[in-house]
Amino acid sequence: MLSLSTLRIAWRNLGRNLKRTLLVAGAIAIGQFAFLGTSALMHGYGEQFFNSATGPMLGHAQVHAYDWRDDRSMDLTLDDVDGLLADIRSDPNVMNASARIYAPVMAALTEDGFMGVVVGVDPVTESHKAGLLPVDGMGDLLGEHRIMVGAGFAERHDLKPGMEIAVIGQDIDGSIASDLYIVRDVMWSAVEIIHGLGIVMSLDDAQELLMMPGQAHEIVIHTSDRELIDETVVRLSQLPSLADLEILSWDELAPFVVTMATMVDWFAYIVLIVVFIAAAASVANTMLMSTFERTHEFGMLLSLGCSPGRLSMMIAIEAAILGLLGVAIGTAVGIAFVAATSESGLNYAALGGSDEYEVAFQGMQFSLLIYPKIYAKDIVIAVSAILATSLIAVVWPIMRIVRLRPVEAMRS
Amino acid sequence: MNTNLVDVKGVTKDFHNGKITVNALRGLDLVIHEGDFLAIVGPSGSGKTTLLNLIGALDVASSGDISIFGHDLMAMSRKQRAELRLTSLGFVFQAYNLIPVLTALENVKFVLELQGVDGGRHERAMSILEDLSLGELANRRPNEMSGGQQQRVAVARAIVARPRLVLADEPTANLDSENSEALLVMMRELRDKHGMTFVFSTHDPLVMAHATRVVTLLDGRVVSDETKNAGDAAGSAN
Repeated sequence: MLSLSTLRIAWRNLGRNLKRTLLVAGAIAIGQFAFLGTSALMHGYGEQFFNSATGPMLGHAQVHAYDWRDDRSMDLTLDDVDGLLADIRSDPNVMNASARIYAPVMAALTEDGFMGVVVGVDPVTESHKAGLLPVDGMGDLLGEHRIMVGAGFAERHDLKPGMEIAVIGQDIDGSIASDLYIVRDVMWSAVEIIHGLGIVMSLDDAQELLMMPGQAHEIVIHTSDRELIDETVVRLSQLPSLADLEILSWDELAPFVVTMATMVDWFAYIVLIVVFIAAAASVANTMLMSTFERTHEFGMLLSLGCSPGRLSMMIAIEAAILGLLGVAIGTAVGIAFVAATSESGLNYAALGGSDEYEVAFQGMQFSLLIYPKIYAKDIVIAVSAILATSLIAVVWPIMRIVRLRPVEAMRS
Repeated sequence: MNTNLVDVKGVTKDFHNGKITVNALRGLDLVIHEGDFLAIVGPSGSGKTTLLNLIGALDVASSGDISIFGHDLMAMSRKQRAELRLTSLGFVFQAYNLIPVLTALENVKFVLELQGVDGGRHERAMSILEDLSLGELANRRPNEMSGGQQQRVAVARAIVARPRLVLADEPTANLDSENSEALLVMMRELRDKHGMTFVFSTHDPLVMAHATRVVTLLDGRVVSDETKNAGDAAGSAN
């Protein structure tokens, strides 16, 4: 039934009212561009959100002693941390694994004390873009009783580099732990516990202070690719050394991030639905007008022996070509938009008149510079959906054609 | 030449427009023989076009019987009537009715394609166009041709599949006398060469002059049926 003539007639019919065809194709193209552009921005935002959420604090996965996350009890520790880290790092998907210690303490400059939290970190393994020490050289400032303090913490308690502070807490045996430390620098961090309360010291210093030799509270893992997280977690959980420990992926640790990512996806789908409705209305209107205008011609074709099925196919092909024409233009413009902005990013702050490009909220650092990303699946979904929508839109015109009687149509 | 191609018996056709019923045909009887070059004439509203539409399986009679090539047209489904039109009938319309987005050649080839002819479509279509002196216009679209040229393309389209019966509704109505004469001579030649049967509905005296048989309708009935002697028809080879 799908013959060359049918295709030829369908294609050339679109040229009979070129302005109308271009107008409808243009409307579909704008819709397609809107969908791809929105998707690309949402993907860029989603990836940035994921990186922010899983970045310095959460990681892609974490290892703890069971119940530590609920109790935060000092004695719920990971033992033989070096051995655990060696096992974890032996997995080919693991890009980074770092041990941490957390302990609430009192700090004092003079006789007045104030609350803080010791965060013991490995100066080497935390010195990367997604670690707690992202700025070059930060790791070198730690060790041998030299510490850094969070910017908010420092401001509140008037702490400055070079000052010596006393840190007093409880070690894992419940005994008093105390020592003196030199503030080497004040660090800005999006992580609230560091920014507002953080007394950041080397893991060795923290282990010594809290009587935790070879121990830590948490191991944070980053894999080389987001897609590898789940399989890595499954594999790591099968390691004998981790058998009695809790290993959780980021989505189990922070379900709200998953909710946010799902919302982002749904936002794009809502745009897609709006685009489809607009496309369907445009195509249906055009094809209905076109079939009304050509009723006499359809009567003639029927009288020649053309079957209603072939006429329907002709109309469906016209609609499909119209949809594909629009979607092709929209896709080309969408891809060009992403190509032009994916490297340099789109500065939302500048659009709002601000020269800031990062904000911190709830322990996460968000960039206002969004890097749009486009995936082949977006294009496939949009093309398929517009094609399907175009075909659905011609059901009404086709039903009209199927009911046509040659003589009545010829009289029109 | 005496084989009955079409046998119309007691056919009526009523049209309803609200409360008004128009009796277009009122118990019409007519036999069309193979090889007829038949003109159906009569005043406007006498039922010429309605009769042509019924014989052409484009419309359904209100009552009566129509047999075409031995098949009962009244018992045929919509699909069977479409098949009949496709395989055995050719149509020439008053307003040419070519497909505007196709060239002359493509219009003629289209019918062959509808019939499912696989090979040699181009050659067959081109051959017919050349027979009708339209070879040079093969790649022109209808809007690039005169009325006479378009009507000749319509004839080419109607006969390319060698139908047994060609139905022509006022084929010369939009043509000047010179083009009308040329068209009728051409149709006579096709009839003589290929043994096709032509049935015209017309007001045109020129068509009547060329016809070998003239049937006159009045108020939906046949009031006269005149068969000319061999050689009496204009343009006759005899």
